[in-house]
Amino acid sequence: MTALPPPGTPTAGLDPLSEQYEAGREMLGIEPGLDAIDLVEIGDSTMELNMGPMHPSTHGVLRLVLNLDGEVVRECRPDIGYLHTGFEKDFERHTYQQCIPYTDRMDYLSPLFNNLGFSLAVEKLLGIEVPLRGQYLRVIMCELCRLASHLLWYGTSALDLGATTAFVYAWRDREKLLDINELVSGVRMHTSFIRVGGLLADVPDPFYEMVGAVIKTFPKLIDEHELLITKNPIWRQRTLGLGRLSPEDAMAYGATGPVLRGSGVPFDLRKAQPYSSYDHFDFDVPIGRTGDVYDRYLVRMQEMRESLKIITQAFENLPDGPVNTTDRRVALPPRNELNTSMESLIHHFKLVTEGMRVPAGQVYQAIESPRGELGFYLVSDGSNRPYRCKVRAPSFSNLSALPHMVRGELIADVVAVIGSIDIVLGDVDR
Amino acid sequence: MSGARAADLLERELPAAVRRRDSGFDEVTVWVDRADLVAVCTLLRDHPDAAYTTPVFVTAVDWPDREPAEPRFDVVYMLRSLQHNDVCRLIVQLTEDDPHVPTLEGVFAGMDWHERECYDLIGITFTGHHDLKRILLPTDWDGHPLRKDYASFGEPVAFTHNLEWALPAQERPRDMPGGSR
Repeated sequence: MTALPPPGTPTAGLDPLSEQYEAGREMLGIEPGLDAIDLVEIGDSTMELNMGPMHPSTHGVLRLVLNLDGEVVRECRPDIGYLHTGFEKDFERHTYQQCIPYTDRMDYLSPLFNNLGFSLAVEKLLGIEVPLRGQYLRVIMCELCRLASHLLWYGTSALDLGATTAFVYAWRDREKLLDINELVSGVRMHTSFIRVGGLLADVPDPFYEMVGAVIKTFPKLIDEHELLITKNPIWRQRTLGLGRLSPEDAMAYGATGPVLRGSGVPFDLRKAQPYSSYDHFDFDVPIGRTGDVYDRYLVRMQEMRESLKIITQAFENLPDGPVNTTDRRVALPPRNELNTSMESLIHHFKLVTEGMRVPAGQVYQAIESPRGELGFYLVSDGSNRPYRCKVRAPSFSNLSALPHMVRGELIADVVAVIGSIDIVLGDVDR
Repeated sequence: MSGARAADLLERELPAAVRRRDSGFDEVTVWVDRADLVAVCTLLRDHPDAAYTTPVFVTAVDWPDREPAEPRFDVVYMLRSLQHNDVCRLIVQLTEDDPHVPTLEGVFAGMDWHERECYDLIGITFTGHHDLKRILLPTDWDGHPLRKDYASFGEPVAFTHNLEWALPAQERPRDMPGGSR
């Protein structure tokens, strides 16, 4: 293998084959620079290979244009946007509560975090705080969701490297968590459970038994997952020392979540800027040492145990009381008032038809989603719809570090590195 | 109050660059000129009292109705300091005729994609960016959807009261009011 020239070095003169190829492209009317063909010879020693968007290991519709020297990746250009749905534009023509179902569908593996981030941003503008029971239930549901999300990541990224059993085991356990989603909201994935001002409703009775079962059984199940993978020699050979990201680079790329913590930076928004009573719970922030794929794996596995610790504490100390705020700018008047008070009836009607009005201003609210810093920058003009809502998606920034991580690695390892970033294309493209 | 650290530092070290400072909802915002932007961000990144080493995002907010009293676009930068656990917000105001700012990809590697997204969706040009092209939308897309004057959805439906708006002049049937052929 020859030594790699620095990236961006122009390759030597084109061979006749590629000149013909260019002529052919011209004949077909394909613009120069537009990659319409899967395999392109561009020089005597490098090759451009199109990976995706229909590729099982890109976890959705991610397309990578890889510049290869033999099997070594010299340059990687991600092409995103296949799943762009314009949610930010949609927010601008919906009332605040109507925006909640849209947030579910951005990062579709951690819908509750999106609900929570948006709700907290609106609540910050309104200056309201949800009752303690509501906050604790939000924490429990979010951490259950983090478990589900990490399990799915664990299953699919192991599957990418050929470990089919792990995938099946992960799916088995994730079902139990989705069952809880179904119980509290009626929906398994896009729950819209967390609303502005609180929750959809208080949890029904079977919730306690089901969460109790999760707390009791999951430590053993996570042991089982670790037994399959952590010391597995194939897994270690495929991941150790691969896709390294130094702490400085991780910060410069705006990487957050397990990618940043895998590089050894102990930054977790649940600790750094606690929201929704996270400061009431005792938990640790696991970090890696070298910032390779294996470290990111270890960080996520450890995070699942920490999540269980948080769930246990919140569950055991779950206070009684209401789950929703009583602030009448957000909350509907109680049913019995509607029978006697005309004003309450009008207020109810206005809230349902027009939605709440939110004071003018701008806020930024960030929360720690399973993938990192999920932020909502919300600008309000005082009306009943967001004037502008920018979603700071963790996967977007994390993925932008991918070209840096795979430069100089083997093409087969690109799959492992993508898996370790844990991208959700719905989150990247929004 | 988040962002106060950056605002204080800028007022101390680069007082000429701070156009305005405002706070609300426990967050401080600093308005800067685009000519000072790179210097401001480099200072915020490198000064040990700031260490805003992580880009959070850049986006823009479109206020078409407020020109000419105030420029139309607010370009919003958010930076995070992991060391001091703080996040700060900078705003650069741009007019409709001249919506460009210098790129920050030389200061923060991660700004690259965020600037492309901002260009794609709102049409702010980042001068000096090495590869400023659309990132989320197809390359042949027309317009910048997050501008307020971009129709958000649907096709206009023609009724007799809105024909002039709904149908292009050539497609109006001759026997209808407003028909041109």
